Amino acid sequence: MEKRKPDAKITVFRIIILLLFSLLALQTWRLQIVQGEESLERANRNRFRLVSTLAPRGVIYDRQGRLLVRNIPSFTVSVVPADLPPDREEEVIQRLASLLEMPVESRLDSEPSSLPQNPHLLGLERWFRPGIRDLIEEGRKTPFVPIILAHDVPREVAFLIEEEHLDLPGVVVQTEAQREYIDGPLLSHIIGYVGLIPEEEVESYLERPGSDYELNDLVGLTGVELTFEEELRGKKGRKHVEVDVAGREVRTVGAAMDPQPGYNLILTIDLDLQKEATEALQEEMTAAGSQSGVVVAMDPQTGEILALVSLPSYDNNLFIGGISLEDYQALRDHPHRPLVDHALTGQYPPGSIFKIVGAAAGLEERIINRHTAINCPGTIWLPHRFAPQDPSLAQPFRCWRQAGHGPLSVVSAIAQSCDIFFYTLAGGYREFQGLGLPMLSYYARLFGLGSPTGIDLPGESEGLIPSEDWKRLTYGEAWVTGDTYNMAIGQGYILTTPLQMLNATAAVANGGTLYRPQIVREVRDTEGNIVRPFRKEVIRQLPIAPENLALVQEGMRAAVAWGTAWRANLPGVAVAGKTGSAEYPGPRDREGRLPTHAWFVAYAPAEDPEIALVVFIEGGGEGSVTAAPVAARILADYFDLPLE
Amino acid sequence: MRRATQHFDLLLLGATVLLMFYGITMIYSATYLSGEGGQSLWDTFFARQIIYALAGLGLMFLATIADYRYLENLYHPLYILTILSLLLLLVVGSVSFGAQRWLGFGRFQPSELAKLSVIICLAKYLSDRGPSIKRFPQLLISLIYAAIPMVLIYLQPDLGTALILGVIWLVMVLMAGARLRHIAILALLGLLATPLIWLFLEDHMRERIIVFFNPEYDPLGVGYNINQARIAVGSGGWWGQGFGSGSQSQLHFLRVRPTDYIFSVLGEELGFVGVLILLLLLGIVLFRILRAADLASDDFGKLIACGVATVIAFQAFVNIGMNIGLIPAAGTSLPFMSYGGSGLITLLLAEGVVQSILVRHRKLEFQ
Repeated sequence: MEKRKPDAKITVFRIIILLLFSLLALQTWRLQIVQGEESLERANRNRFRLVSTLAPRGVIYDRQGRLLVRNIPSFTVSVVPADLPPDREEEVIQRLASLLEMPVESRLDSEPSSLPQNPHLLGLERWFRPGIRDLIEEGRKTPFVPIILAHDVPREVAFLIEEEHLDLPGVVVQTEAQREYIDGPLLSHIIGYVGLIPEEEVESYLERPGSDYELNDLVGLTGVELTFEEELRGKKGRKHVEVDVAGREVRTVGAAMDPQPGYNLILTIDLDLQKEATEALQEEMTAAGSQSGVVVAMDPQTGEILALVSLPSYDNNLFIGGISLEDYQALRDHPHRPLVDHALTGQYPPGSIFKIVGAAAGLEERIINRHTAINCPGTIWLPHRFAPQDPSLAQPFRCWRQAGHGPLSVVSAIAQSCDIFFYTLAGGYREFQGLGLPMLSYYARLFGLGSPTGIDLPGESEGLIPSEDWKRLTYGEAWVTGDTYNMAIGQGYILTTPLQMLNATAAVANGGTLYRPQIVREVRDTEGNIVRPFRKEVIRQLPIAPENLALVQEGMRAAVAWGTAWRANLPGVAVAGKTGSAEYPGPRDREGRLPTHAWFVAYAPAEDPEIALVVFIEGGGEGSVTAAPVAARILADYFDLPLE
Repeated sequence: MRRATQHFDLLLLGATVLLMFYGITMIYSATYLSGEGGQSLWDTFFARQIIYALAGLGLMFLATIADYRYLENLYHPLYILTILSLLLLLVVGSVSFGAQRWLGFGRFQPSELAKLSVIICLAKYLSDRGPSIKRFPQLLISLIYAAIPMVLIYLQPDLGTALILGVIWLVMVLMAGARLRHIAILALLGLLATPLIWLFLEDHMRERIIVFFNPEYDPLGVGYNINQARIAVGSGGWWGQGFGSGSQSQLHFLRVRPTDYIFSVLGEELGFVGVLILLLLLGIVLFRILRAADLASDDFGKLIACGVATVIAFQAFVNIGMNIGLIPAAGTSLPFMSYGGSGLITLLLAEGVVQSILVRHRKLEFQ
C-alpha cells in the first residue's frame, strides 16, 4: 500500500474539537471570572445560616427558695426541608418513621367525634398524630427552619440518628430543655404547663412586638407558666453557623449573640403549707365522702397566696411533650373536672359566710348598731305581698336552729350564725326596716364579690351578685323580699368563688383593705437580682368604719371561741372564723333537707392576723363539722401548735 | 519489535496518565477529604480508582502488543456478546439511581463495552464496504448496527450512552465518506419524529431537559444538581478555593461528586487555571489519537481511532457542558477523570487499540 494522503475530514474533526473546547473554556471563564462574585455569594448562602438558639426557660421556687420546676435536657429530632434531597426523601422518611415510631402519613388515633375542639390548647400533640411527610410538607414554606418531628426522643434513638447522619440528610438532632414539675399534682393548678402555641393564637404570638416566637416554640398554656410567659421565656440568641448539605452545624462563624435566659419566679406559695393543706383537705373529703374541695390560704396584710389547693388535681408532668389520649380522656371525663382550678373557677352559693358582708353593711348603713337586738323565734312568716292580711298565704322562713335564738346582738348573731337575724337585717320584717337588695349588693361588690379578684392565674370566674333587673331579665319575675332573705344567708341566686370569699374575709381581718391576691412574689434574674420586687396591690379601701369592722371581727372570733365554729378553736392562738353550709339542688336526705357544701373562712391570730384561709368541701355537709377541722389542722401546722 | 516500539506514542500515554492522576486527586478531595472514608483505605473511592487505573493500563499494554487486525475477525462474536450482555442486564440488572447499568459480577457496565464494540463493528463494516457507503441503503444498514445497542441502552434507561453511540455512528460514517445529503435527510426525519420521541422519553429525562432550559425551576428538585454545580464552578475564580477547601464539595452541597460532577469539584477547588490544564490534557490526548487516525495503515484502523476520539471528545464536551450549564444533565462521565472502573478500563483498552494501530502503521517494518 502506498503512502496515504492526509485525510481532510480528520482536519475538520480537529477543528470541531477545538471549537467545542473553546466553547467550554469560554463558558467556564464566564462562570468563574465574570459571574464569580455572584456564585461565591450563593455558595456562602448555601453554607452559612442564621439560626436561633433557645433561651433556657426560667425556673420556679416557692417562697422559701425550694425548687418547684426545673429544666432537664431532652432530645428533639427535626428536619430541615431544604436539606432533604428529593431523590432520597422517601428513604429518609421511612427510616425516621421506624426509628421514631411515627406514622408516615397523618392519622387520627381516635374517633373524630371524641376529639376536643382544639387539641393544641391542651398540648395534645400526640392526639392527632401528624405524619412525618405532612410535617415536612408543612415546613416547606420556610425550608431552612428545622421542623421538629419529635420531642423527648430517647437517648439511644437520638444517638442512632446521629450515627446514621450520612444516610439521613437534612435530619438534625438537637437538645432542648424540658420542663420537670417536681411536685406534680401538688402544684399543677398554680404552675400549669407548657405546650405548642395553640393554633388560633399563633398569629398573636408571632406578631407580638419584639417577638422572637417561632411556630414550634413551647409556650405556657396555663398557670403561672401562662401568666408569666414573658418573664419566664427569656430571649433567643442568634448565631451564624456553617452547615453542611445535611444542615448539620460544622462550626459557628463570627460572634454569636447568646440567648438571655428567662427570669426565675419566686412564688408566694409555702410548699410545706401547701402539702399540709392538701393532706388535710384530702383526708376530710374522704371522711365526708366528698370528691372535690378547695383550700386557699393568704396573708391578709399583703394579698400573698400561701397555699392554693383544688382537688381533685392532675399531674402536669403528663402534658410534657404532649399528653396521651388515654390520659387526656381520663382527665376530661372525670366527673369532678381535675383540670379545673375550683378555687377561682368554681362558683358556689357562699352560705352563711356571706353573713359577714351583711353585718358590715348593716352596721355601716346604721340599720343596726352593736346594741341592736333582733329576736329570733325560730321561724318568721313573711306575708304574701298581694294579700298581706291573709296569714294562710304567708311564707315561713326558718332559722337553722328551730327552737330559735331569742334576742341577739350582731356579735352573737355572727357567732351563732342566726339566720333570722340576717333575714330581718337584710330584708326587713314587720316594722323593722332592712337594708334592701341594692344596698346589700352594693356592699357585696365592695367586698370584691361579683367580679374577678385579678389574681395572676388564668381562668378566674366572676361569680354572681344578683340585682332586681338581673332577675327580671333572667327569669321574667320581680324581685321579692324572700329573695333578699335568701341572699342574706348566702343562698338563692348569689354565687361566689372560694377565692372571692377568702379575699372578703382578708379585708375584714386587716381592717378594711381589699388586696389583689398574688401568687408570684418576686421575679429574679439568673444571678438572683430582683427584677420585679413584691408590691402589694390595693383593689380598694372599704368605706366602712373601723369600729364597725371590729364588730364583725368580734363576731367571727366569738364564732370560734364559743359559737358554731368551735371546732376551729386552737390553744395558743386566737382564731376568728365563720362557717357556712350552702344548700344546693341535689338529692334530699332522710329529713327532707337539701345537701350542702361545707364552707369555712378564718383568720388568725385574731388580734393581728397573719393568715386567712377558706376551706370549701363540695357536698361536704355542715361547714362547722367538715370544713372547720381542716382549717384547724392547717392553722395548727402554720403556727406550729399541737392539735388536740 | 524493537523498531516497532519507536512508534508507541509516549505523549499520548503521558497525557492519559496525567489525566488519571488529576482525576484520582480530585476524587480523593471530593470523597476522602470531605469525610466519606470507607471501612479501610482499600474501600475508598480513590484507592479503588487507582486499582482500576492500574488494571486498565495493564490491559492497554496487552492491547498494544496484540495486533488490532485480529479484531477484524473477532467483531462478530464481540458484537453478539455485547448485545447479549445488554439484554441480560435488562432482565436481571441491579438498579441504581433509577436505572439498570451494572451486571452483578464486579459491577461491570456492559454499556461501556458497547461503545468499543460498536466502534469496532462499524469500523469493520465501513472499511469493508469502502466507497459504497455513499449509497443510502448501505448507510441505513450501518445505522442498524449502532441502533440495536442504542435502543437496548436507552431502555435501561441511559439516554447519555445511547446518544454517544449515535454520535459515534455519525462521525464514523462521515469519516468513511457518507454523503452529507443522506445524513441531512436522516436528520430531517429525526427532527420530524421529535414530538414522538418526547412522548417516549422517560419522565426524568424530560425533567432534565426542562430544567436545562429553565434552571431556576424547582431549585431543590431535579435542578438541584445543575444549580449546585454551577455555583461550585462559579465560586472557583482564577485559582480556586484551594485543594480540599471547596465549600460546595466539602460540605456535600454537590452530589455524585466523584462521578458526574468531578469537574465541578475541580472547578471549585482549582479554579479556571485548573480547568484550562484539564482541557489542555484532554486536547493532547484527542489530537494524538487523531494523529494515529492519520497515520493508520488501513481504513479499519483509521476508523477505530476516529471512533475512540469521538467517544472521548463527545463525553468530555457533554460532561463539562453539563457541569457549567451548557447542556442538560445526561449522566455521562468525564473521560479518565470520573470515578468508575468500567468506563476507565474501556477507555484505556480503546487507547491500547489505538497504540496498536500506531505501532503497526508501517506494514513493511513487521515483515
